[in-house]
Amino acid sequence: MLLEVSTLAAGYLGQTVVQGVNLEVSPGEVVAIIGSNGAGKTTLMRAIAGLLRPMAGRVSLAGRDMTRWPAHRVAGAGVAYVPAERHLFPAMTVKTNLVLGAYPHRPQREALELVFEIFPALKPRLQQRAGTLSGGQQQMVAVGRALVAQPRLLMLDEPSTGLAPKLAKDAFEALGSLKGRGMTLLVAEQQVPLALSVADRGYVLENGRITLEGTPHELDRNPEVRRAYLGVA
Amino acid sequence: MKAVILDGIILGLGFGLLGVGMTLVYGLGGVLNLAYGEFAVLAAIVVAQAISGGMPTVLAAVLGILAAATAGVLLDLSLMRPVYRQSTGHRVLLGLMLTLGLAFVIEGVLTWRDPLGGLTISIGGKPISILGVPIAVGSVWAALITLAVGVVLLVFFAATTFGRGVRSVIQDELGARLVGISPSLVRTVIFGLSGALAGLVAVTQSMTSPLTVSGGFNLTVYALIVSVVGGLGSVAGAFLAGILLGIVDDVSARYIGSYISDIVLLGAAALTILVRPRGLFGS
Repeated sequence: MLLEVSTLAAGYLGQTVVQGVNLEVSPGEVVAIIGSNGAGKTTLMRAIAGLLRPMAGRVSLAGRDMTRWPAHRVAGAGVAYVPAERHLFPAMTVKTNLVLGAYPHRPQREALELVFEIFPALKPRLQQRAGTLSGGQQQMVAVGRALVAQPRLLMLDEPSTGLAPKLAKDAFEALGSLKGRGMTLLVAEQQVPLALSVADRGYVLENGRITLEGTPHELDRNPEVRRAYLGVA
Repeated sequence: MKAVILDGIILGLGFGLLGVGMTLVYGLGGVLNLAYGEFAVLAAIVVAQAISGGMPTVLAAVLGILAAATAGVLLDLSLMRPVYRQSTGHRVLLGLMLTLGLAFVIEGVLTWRDPLGGLTISIGGKPISILGVPIAVGSVWAALITLAVGVVLLVFFAATTFGRGVRSVIQDELGARLVGISPSLVRTVIFGLSGALAGLVAVTQSMTSPLTVSGGFNLTVYALIVSVVGGLGSVAGAFLAGILLGIVDDVSARYIGSYISDIVLLGAAALTILVRPRGLFGS
């Protein structure tokens, strides 16, 4: 198992937001966490990424306990997290943003080539300041910066945030081609059809707890999921 | 007039270097180090004592710079720990209170131990003519050292991995953590660099005019002004602002009176906040 989360609880200022979360991601697998706004998806992702110290439970990467590691150490161990707000370096060029993804090393040529293959639109914009890009392009830089680290696990929080439907679809197509290259992905997304289009497995998070788990096919057929997330009566 | 401007540029280079150490620390998390000028004084006293103890001047200068760098690192590892645990607003206030307190302590101790202490490094030789203006040898040396260090700093922050890492923390701390950078480690290193720069400014300044035990507060104020005008967190901005302010300072001191020049500089900082709050180069 690459990522193993067991009985995890996390929250803010003593308030529990997610609890009792058990979740697994195998190497090469694409796993979706679906749930509505406020279900706790971001809190869960932040706790795994080390941005939020879990209140209870355990997070391990390839068997190594990393529950209380700070974010920079989690990143160094090969977990790249792309938050919904992206957190690019706005006054730096696209190129410098990408290069920093490999910190403290120099970026590998293959890693940069992969980024340009997945996001050809970035190539002509390498010298542009990241802060001047459109939302869709910034999302590409954020994912690109994470890819340059050649992560063992790529975590994305709401990649569709702030994107027009067409661009959101493009973003998930890009994730699909990463999947085709064997990348392990953990994606939190409230647009359930998009998430299920790329996932091998999905977890449904409701009020901070995992209520369902299954393949896209199983989740798709589940009457609860259909009513709550797919707009089917 | 030419002489005044040239003098101003030389003065301003020193302002710029001084500003770098203040502006980087501020950019990395909102702390204005009010003990900054006292680090320079500390270095000056260490250098003066070492020289009077028989140490060669260059070695003494290195020792003084190291002492100030150590003071910077120790400040970060001690008083700054609770500061960086606060959220932004409280962080600024707590940082101001603690560093102001430290400034009083350092100044108090130095004044008590060495009330007449100060540093003058005199470099002999006939004034060198630059563009027809005679400039004291000490000033020329001070300006050259400052320029060289300024270039090294600019290259360091633009082109090295760690330098880019520092800028990334200034621009988006969370983003920096996500690419594997430890903001607290970066801050410790930059506090050390900041102390070293204060120490270097003490050395270069003492080549043109004495730096005394009571001179720390003025240096802190100059560093603050340069940081604000240059743009918080910007090395190039600090140098440009330093040179501009050096010229303004010298011109106003010459044509109006030296009593007015500090007020003119503070006015320039206030005007910057009103007209261009991010400063010349701030992001």
